[in-house]
Amino acid sequence: MDFFIQQFCNGLTTGGIYALIALGYTMVYGVMKLINFAHGELFTLGAFLGYLLLVTLGLAGAVGPALGLALSIVTVSGLVAAAGHLLERVAYRPLRNSDRLAAVVSALGASIFLQNAIMIVWGSQYRAYSARLLPAVSLDVLGQPIPLIRILVFAAAAALMLLLWLFINRTRTGLAIRAAAIDQGAARLMGIDVSRVIAVVFVIGPALGGLAGLMAGLLYGQINFNMGQLYGLKAFTAAIIGGIGNIQGAMIGGLLLGLLESLGAAYVSVAWKDAITFVVLIMILVVRPTGLLPERVAEKL
Amino acid sequence: MRRTIYLTLAAAIGAALAAPWGAAAALAQEGPVKIGLMGPITGQWASEGQDMLNVVQILADELNASGGINGRKVEIVVGDDGGNPKTATLAAQRLISEGVSAVVGTYGSSVTAAVQDIYDEAGVVQVATGSTSIALSEKGLKLFFRTCPRDDEQGRFLAATVKDLGFKRAAIVHDNTSYAKGLADETRAIFRDSGVEEAFFDAITPGDRDYTATITKIRAADPDVIVFTGYYPEAGLILRQKREMNWDVPMIGGDATNNVALVEGAGEEAAAGYYFVSPPGPGDIKGEKARRLLEAFRIRYDALPSSVWAVLAGDAFGVIAEGMKAAGTDGPAIAEYLHSGLQGYEGLTGPISFNEKGDRIGDVYSLYQVDAAGRFVLK
Repeated sequence: MDFFIQQFCNGLTTGGIYALIALGYTMVYGVMKLINFAHGELFTLGAFLGYLLLVTLGLAGAVGPALGLALSIVTVSGLVAAAGHLLERVAYRPLRNSDRLAAVVSALGASIFLQNAIMIVWGSQYRAYSARLLPAVSLDVLGQPIPLIRILVFAAAAALMLLLWLFINRTRTGLAIRAAAIDQGAARLMGIDVSRVIAVVFVIGPALGGLAGLMAGLLYGQINFNMGQLYGLKAFTAAIIGGIGNIQGAMIGGLLLGLLESLGAAYVSVAWKDAITFVVLIMILVVRPTGLLPERVAEKL
Repeated sequence: MRRTIYLTLAAAIGAALAAPWGAAAALAQEGPVKIGLMGPITGQWASEGQDMLNVVQILADELNASGGINGRKVEIVVGDDGGNPKTATLAAQRLISEGVSAVVGTYGSSVTAAVQDIYDEAGVVQVATGSTSIALSEKGLKLFFRTCPRDDEQGRFLAATVKDLGFKRAAIVHDNTSYAKGLADETRAIFRDSGVEEAFFDAITPGDRDYTATITKIRAADPDVIVFTGYYPEAGLILRQKREMNWDVPMIGGDATNNVALVEGAGEEAAAGYYFVSPPGPGDIKGEKARRLLEAFRIRYDALPSSVWAVLAGDAFGVIAEGMKAAGTDGPAIAEYLHSGLQGYEGLTGPISFNEKGDRIGDVYSLYQVDAAGRFVLK
C-alpha cells in the first residue's frame, strides 16, 4: 500500500505538468482547430527564462526565495505570453484564411525556429537550477514522505487549472471563447471580436505552458533546449485522450497519462512504461474515438 | 613514323615526371621520419583533436632535441578528420601520399572504423587513441593498435569494483543506448559469476525527467547499491530525486558520467559520495613521465589537456617511436615489433603492451568518488 501511495503521488506530479501543457494545446485547438506544434518550445522557453531569472540573475538570492519565486512566476508567464502572442501574429494570423495544412506547416516551422533559437541563445549543453533554490523538506502524506517541492508543484498546477476553469466559465471573455469554439462565424455575427478571442487564447495557453516549464525546471533541476519535444508530445497525447478542444478533458488526460506512466513502471516494467501507457491510451481511443470528454460535451456546458 | 614520335615523346615526358619523384624518394631516406597525426582538429570534438596535436608536438620536439629516431629527426604530418568519417578518408589518403609509415589517432570510433582499412591496405600502422568500440580490433587487422581501453574492459572493472567495495545486492539500471546496455549486460554477467546478487535490472528512458517511479521501484527491491551505466544527465537527475526521497543508497556509474555537469544537475549534496569508473583525468595520472609532459604542456599552452584521450595520443606517439627505433620505418615491420617485441613499455599512462588484436593489455580504469564540494576524487 505504501508503495502504491508513493507511486500515485509520483504520477500526480508528472501528470500535473502534462495537464498544464495540454491545456495550451486544447485551448488553441478548441478555438482555431489548429495544433500549435510550437507549444512544447514555449514550455522550454519558460524553463529557460526561469533559469535566467533565478540562476543567472540570482533573483531568489537577492530578494529571498518566496518573493523571488513570485516575481519569476509573474515575469515568466508575462514574457512567454508575449512570445505566444507574437507567434500568433507572425506565424498563424497571416494564414488564418488559407488552407489548414499551411497553418500546420507554419506551426512546425515555428517549433523548429524556436527550438534552435533557444539553442543559439543558451547553448546546447544542459543547464541546472540550483538544488538550493528551495528548501529540501518532505511532508507526510498518508504516512509517506513526499518532497515539499512536489506538493507545491502539484498544488500550483491545480490552482492554475481551477483559475482557468473559473475564467472560461464565469467571465464574459470566457463566454466569448466558448462561443468562438463552437462556431466562429456565428460568434462573429453575434458581435464577438473573434480576433481578440484568438489573441486571448494565445496569451493564456503560452503563459500556462511557460509556467509548466518553470515548474519542471524547479522540480527536476535540469533543462536543455529540446526538453519541450518529449513534453510536448506527451501533453499533446494527454489533450487527445481527454478529447481535444475540451479543457476539463486536458486536465483529466494529463493526470491520467502521468498516473499510467508511474503505475506502469511500478507494476510492470520500467523499460516498457511508455509502451504500456500508449497501449492503454489506444484502447481508450478505440472505445471512445473522440477522447474521454469530447468537445461536443463541452459545448453543452 | 608518326607513332614513333609519339612513343618517344611519351617516354620523354614519363622520364621527366619520374626523375623528381626518384630524387625525392632518395632524399626521404636522408630526411626526417614522417609520423602522421590524424585527429579532429576542427568540428565538434575540436578541443580533443587540438590537445592531441599539442601533446604529440611536445613529445616530438623532445625526441628531436635528444637525437630523434636513430639519428633522424621526426616530422609530424597533421591530417584533420573533423570528427567526420567522410573527411577522415580524405585525410587518411593525404597522410599516406605524404609518405608516413605510422599514424597516431584518432578519437571517434566511427571515424577510426572508416579509415582502418585504408591504412591497412597502404601498409601504414595506425595507433588509435580514443576509439573504444569493441568491433575495431575484431576485424583481424594486423596493423591496427590502440592505447585506449576497449568498452568491454569497463564492464569487467565496474563489476570488480562493486564487489571490492563490499556491495552484495546490486540494482542495475541502463538507458537502452547501445553503449549503456552493453555495459549493463557485461556487468550483469560478471555479477552472476562473482556472487553479487541482482536485485533489479531495467532500463529508463533518457529525456524523461521524472525518474521517481523507477527509484521507488528500485527502493522496493532493497539493493545496497545502484549501478547506473547510462549518461551524466540522467545520473544527475536520479541522484537528485533519490535524495529528495531521503534515500541514501550508494550509486556507481561508468565513464559516461565523468562530466562536471553531473554535479550541477544533481546539486552538490546529492552528488556527494557518487562513485564512477573512468580512465584517469590528465591531472590524476601518476608517474614521472606524465608529470613532465603535463608540466611542459602547462608552460606552452597555459592549461592542462581537457581529457585523458590526448595523453593517450602521446602514448601512441611513444610506442610508434619505440617501434621505429627497433624495426625501422617499414609499417608491417613496426607492427610486428609492437605485437611481439614491445613488452611493458613505460608509457605516460603506465606500462604498455599489445595483445594479438592490437588492444592494450592491462587496466586503464580508475575509481572516482564525488566529494562534498562536488569535486571528482581519485580513489
